[in-house]
Amino acid sequence: MDFTWSAELIEFRDELTQVIQQWRTPELLKEYRENHGAAGPLISEFQAELNRRGWSRMCWPEEYGGRALNPLYQFVYVETMEYWGMPYGNLTYTSVAPALLEHASEEQKKEYLPGIWEGRLRFAIGYSEPNAGSDLASLRTRAVRDGDDWIIQGQKIWTSGAEVATHVWLAARTDPDAPRHQGISMIIVPVDAPGVTVRPLWTMSGVRTNETFYDNVRVPYSNLVGPLNGGWTIIMHALNHERVGLSTTGNLAVHFDDAVRYLREHRPEALADPHVRRRLAEIKLELLKHRALAIRNAVTIAGGGIKPQEASMTKIHGSELRYSLSNSLMDLLGRYGGLSRETGELAPAEGSFERTWRASPILRFGGGANELQRTIIATRGLGMPR
Amino acid sequence: MNLDPSETQVLLRDTLRSFLANELPFDQVRACEKEGRADAELWGQLREHGWLATPFPSSLGGGGAGLVEAGLLVEELARRAAVVPIVEALSCGAALARCGGERGAELVRGLIEGAITPVPAVLESSDRFDAIAAEAAGDGSLRAEKYFVDYAGFATHHLVAARRGGETGLYLVDASHPAIKVEPHATIGRTPQAVVRYDAAPAERVAGEDGYDCLVQVARALCTVQIVASMQVSLDQTVAYTSVREQFGRPIGTFQAVQHHVANMATEVESVRLLAYEALDSLDRGSATAERIAIAKAAASRAVPEVTMLGHQLHGGQGYIEENDLYFFTLRGKDRSLAWGTADECLEIVAREIEKPTDWL
Ligand SMILES: Cc1cc2nc3c(=O)[nH]c(=O)nc-3n(C[C@H](O)[C@H](O)[C@H](O)COP(=O)(O)OP(=O)(O)OC[C@H]3O[C@@H](n4cnc5c(N)ncnc54)[C@H](O)[C@@H]3O)c2cc1C
Repeated sequence: MDFTWSAELIEFRDELTQVIQQWRTPELLKEYRENHGAAGPLISEFQAELNRRGWSRMCWPEEYGGRALNPLYQFVYVETMEYWGMPYGNLTYTSVAPALLEHASEEQKKEYLPGIWEGRLRFAIGYSEPNAGSDLASLRTRAVRDGDDWIIQGQKIWTSGAEVATHVWLAARTDPDAPRHQGISMIIVPVDAPGVTVRPLWTMSGVRTNETFYDNVRVPYSNLVGPLNGGWTIIMHALNHERVGLSTTGNLAVHFDDAVRYLREHRPEALADPHVRRRLAEIKLELLKHRALAIRNAVTIAGGGIKPQEASMTKIHGSELRYSLSNSLMDLLGRYGGLSRETGELAPAEGSFERTWRASPILRFGGGANELQRTIIATRGLGMPR
Repeated sequence: MNLDPSETQVLLRDTLRSFLANELPFDQVRACEKEGRADAELWGQLREHGWLATPFPSSLGGGGAGLVEAGLLVEELARRAAVVPIVEALSCGAALARCGGERGAELVRGLIEGAITPVPAVLESSDRFDAIAAEAAGDGSLRAEKYFVDYAGFATHHLVAARRGGETGLYLVDASHPAIKVEPHATIGRTPQAVVRYDAAPAERVAGEDGYDCLVQVARALCTVQIVASMQVSLDQTVAYTSVREQFGRPIGTFQAVQHHVANMATEVESVRLLAYEALDSLDRGSATAERIAIAKAAASRAVPEVTMLGHQLHGGQGYIEENDLYFFTLRGKDRSLAWGTADECLEIVAREIEKPTDWL
């Protein structure tokens, strides 16, 4: 056993942190916040810097411009970016790119991968439908072949980022007569294709997501990724990656550090209170449990596998910790804890605990509801009868 | 013993319930949230219909009922996420009626008739009820900074907690006086709140230490009922939604995991509801203790985020968007859990008397 990071990884983390410090200006953070994930001028420059250093695709194979580094580099990269709240391509980077690398044709890889690492191409994920959420395999959006084209008809919901995306990574039913899991295909749909409509849905976290409608949308047949009717395996693979990307410790741990700093600077008498310190210690303990699970998961992936039960444990623990941690911090801060960013200076850590609390439902049902994840741990992980 | 509302209480509750169902669409609440204002129209209606008079003695023009009835009103309003200072005004009224003497009685009449809408201004930057530091000067002027004042901008008067000669009392300040500055906050509950600065504002002493205690206890107990309402709506909506939402070819409410979550939610709501109304009943009977009210508030404050988060988990994406009404109760619930004493502050009160023998029957 060896629980230490290699010197190279630490060196990488430190270098990345340094670069982040140079770029992480209030202006950039504001741009990130207000553009809802679209790259404005500052973020584009930052992205270019990451590309120049070869970081944004360092784990990709060499033939696609990568350096084929150990996937732990990507783990450290994402953790560090999440800790500092910096943009790095997010789901396009952690979920769609790995799926393309694994399943797309050579031409498709040439067409899309450079645009992804340059930040030119942004994918919204189009799996969910109004009646296909937890039960994703019941999705009904149809794609019918018409000569060299697909004609797509249907509706998706929760297509996050579609308002700023260039493409939708769309799951469509291509064989309605086959068993549910065997009639689904993955098709890349440009958002600007005629017949695509994007309608906003505003969430209680303040973040936007969308409904997307596809009315006789025509895209080339060659936009099919992977085998015809072989979409389910691709989705499951991408979802496992997504779960890892959604369960970082960094964006939770930053709240702990922010809380300690805030208390030290603004409420030293509270920080001296043994009760407050005990509560913070309890939060720290849960964060370190989460870090342990996340690293376990990352090391398994780096070893070339993925264990669904490990991804599930990390996802459950992370999503529930997002709530309990922000809830505890708000309680510790009393009525200050309820102040939102718009309040201004009086709001602790720019209202980030309150904001995270409001955002904490999503990961408990998104990316596969926690009930379903618990079943995965029991059946696939522990071999219990179904 | 009777743990259910009486016939009159049911009538009161149902009348208000159907009134609100007709008169207060949730879009009206959304508009208030968006514009950061109180619902003046509804406040006027509540007064016209005499609901604000309910818990006050008939001798003052009140309805002659008690704080249990006040709780029923508060609960109904919270179930519609109404943006009105009901807890604030009624707790001021209770403190004035019980501890304000002649002047207090006159002010309660003013509240009932619509001449004044008073709200408490208690907390300071310390955010503690037991650390009021504002000093009321002997010449009747007040310099103070009050934090987290709910409905400060909407109220006509503030009932400010301040000290004079070592005693904390309640001081009435006309909110329209130029020596008062109101700086609005944005909060998770999305109801109006502000920091208020009193720069030598004329202040009239209307109650002493007992008035201050009464104000805090009544507000704490009524706030507990607001929390109960948040939990109840979240539970009701979740039961209804999971019974019809189908996935995997059946209503999700048929999954055991879902039923267990709902059962946990219901157990929390039921136990906290009983504690909340027991607290109000004890206030009516004069047998209330700070410790038991603190227990009710602590229990509610701990339960509400758990219950509402489970509600969200079971609603999936549908409960997460603001087109759905669920978020009102989640956000208001958390806001109220921090108001009038967090769980921690209330548990401190309980802890202080931990060796005192308890009557368990
Ligand atoms: C803000 C937001 C962003 C999203 N972004 C995307 C995106 O970019 N792309 C995309 O494709 N999707 C996205 N999603 C969709 C997300 O993945 C779904 O919300 C999720 O799959 C759950 O589906 P549902 O919302 O329909 O909930 P439902 O399937 O209706 O489930 C609701 C709840 O029922 C319970 N439940 C369901 N089935 C079972 C069972 N078998 N056993 C026990 N309990 C069960 C669970 O508690 C579950 O949380 C997003 C959702 C939101 C809210």
